[in-house]
Amino acid sequence: MSFDETQADTPTVMVAPPQSERVVDVRGLDFFYGKNQALFNVDLPVARNQITALIGPSGCGKSTLLRTLNKIYDLYPGQRATGQILFNGENMLNPRDEVDASQMANAGGVPIKGDVARLRARIGMVFQRPTPFPMSIYDNIAFGVRLHQKASKAEMDEIVERSLTRAALWNEVKDKLHTSGLGLSGGQQQRLCVARGIAVEPEVLLLDEPASALDPMSTAKLEATLMELKDSFTIVIVTHNLQQAARISDYTGFMLLGKMVEFRPSSEAFIKPETEAMRDYVTGRYG
Amino acid sequence: MSAPVKSAGFDRHMRRKLVNYIFVGLTTLATLVAVAGLVMILGSLMKNGLGGLGLHIFTMDQPAAGTEGGLKNAILGSLVLCAMGMIGAVVVGILAGTWLAEYGEGNKLASAVRFLNDVLLSAPSILVGLFIYEILVAPFGGFSAIAGAAALACLAAPVVTRTTEDILRLQANHLREAGMALGAGKGYVIRAIIWRASRTGLVTGALLGFARISGETAPLLFTALGNAFTSWDLTQPIGALPKVIYDFANSPYDDLRQLAWVGALLISFTVLSANIIGRALARGSNK
Repeated sequence: MSFDETQADTPTVMVAPPQSERVVDVRGLDFFYGKNQALFNVDLPVARNQITALIGPSGCGKSTLLRTLNKIYDLYPGQRATGQILFNGENMLNPRDEVDASQMANAGGVPIKGDVARLRARIGMVFQRPTPFPMSIYDNIAFGVRLHQKASKAEMDEIVERSLTRAALWNEVKDKLHTSGLGLSGGQQQRLCVARGIAVEPEVLLLDEPASALDPMSTAKLEATLMELKDSFTIVIVTHNLQQAARISDYTGFMLLGKMVEFRPSSEAFIKPETEAMRDYVTGRYG
Repeated sequence: MSAPVKSAGFDRHMRRKLVNYIFVGLTTLATLVAVAGLVMILGSLMKNGLGGLGLHIFTMDQPAAGTEGGLKNAILGSLVLCAMGMIGAVVVGILAGTWLAEYGEGNKLASAVRFLNDVLLSAPSILVGLFIYEILVAPFGGFSAIAGAAALACLAAPVVTRTTEDILRLQANHLREAGMALGAGKGYVIRAIIWRASRTGLVTGALLGFARISGETAPLLFTALGNAFTSWDLTQPIGALPKVIYDFANSPYDDLRQLAWVGALLISFTVLSANIIGRALARGSNK
């Protein structure tokens, strides 16, 4: 069965977490790749210390939505977002642009660019393909930390150990911290990227199909890691894997053709989808 | 239906096999021709050059015909010229290549620079020598090592620029995004991550540039001029191996022609070992 504009225009079913629990609150977001509009009036409430999953067929805009949350799209001229993305109540789409002098000093002379840099320190991201930097495991973790704070050797050792432990990687790499991060397996590399992301203690961790390049064992480990992490972080995950979304997420947003079609607690959403579009998608009739 | 298909398939199979044999034969032949040329060059270099090799080559300046002498002035001169030229070429080439790859997207100036760089890549080296003569020799009243190095830098820089741009473009955008998602600025990501990930390619680019200039004679004729004595004064003319080879190879005296063979042997093996070292480095860093 195919879907068409009429289905995509189905009114959003939104069962959102209470206002007070929202760390990130996207309201009426439109997104453009040049002249092509990719997101249409999207709302996305993200609850603190919960896992929010974004699902939907390829090209529905879920990765685009995720990439607006830390403004990584900024890197590409021609991409722009309008609407509101409230992060702790402050609209990030019109941030103050001045550079905080103390922040610059703390960074030890490393150039960072005002608000976007600080925003990205608080909203971390893990990508579809593992992206270890071409340096040692230790330095991979330390890289982000050094951007935002001055840490002594002992402090840095502790941060590295804590981050790797939380990402469930410490036991596997503790004897080879100073070997290249590129020498790890794909699953280990992805957990290294998670460790690197949480080392700077962000509030929110964005994951863009983090398990799509991993085998089932590595995926299981990564999922277990995420479940642990949600006590400390708010997690937004884009996934093509419906079982994964059902297993680990607390809220699920189903997107179609650049619109948020259904957003509800995962426990209800997967058992009894309300829109026909989501029902079709979840039961595998298209996607 | 299966019978006719089978017989047609058999014919086709035979034909494919035949075409395959012919093609493999041709490519093998082509390889042999290329390798044979290289072996013959190296062979005649060794045959004619090895006999003249001795400590005196490195300890004595070039002789007048009929007297004893070595190539010390030319070897040291070439080392000085190539070292200074490569420093200039690497600094300019890596920065220019980085700008083209990382900041030149959709930029008219970048397209112009890229085009001019390609023109420079194949510019006749004697023209580069004349150009440097006009700006560094004529106005300052004399030939100099500095002018020679500048001419060599002008020849090597486009090679380094081109390889740098190509290598940086090969790096996945994921890697840039991962760095910036941690809050690092673009420039810092390039220096700390992208350059590091590309270091093998950058070294290869420098080696290619070195290979381009190490045997150049024409650009030195109007710039470094040549010097029959060892000189450390960079504002004075300086000797160079290719120049000495050129002069001595045309000489009617056997002992001078012998020295030309030795010089040619030295240059060839320097370039050969530079390539081998470059490859060894490349292999080492991929582990």
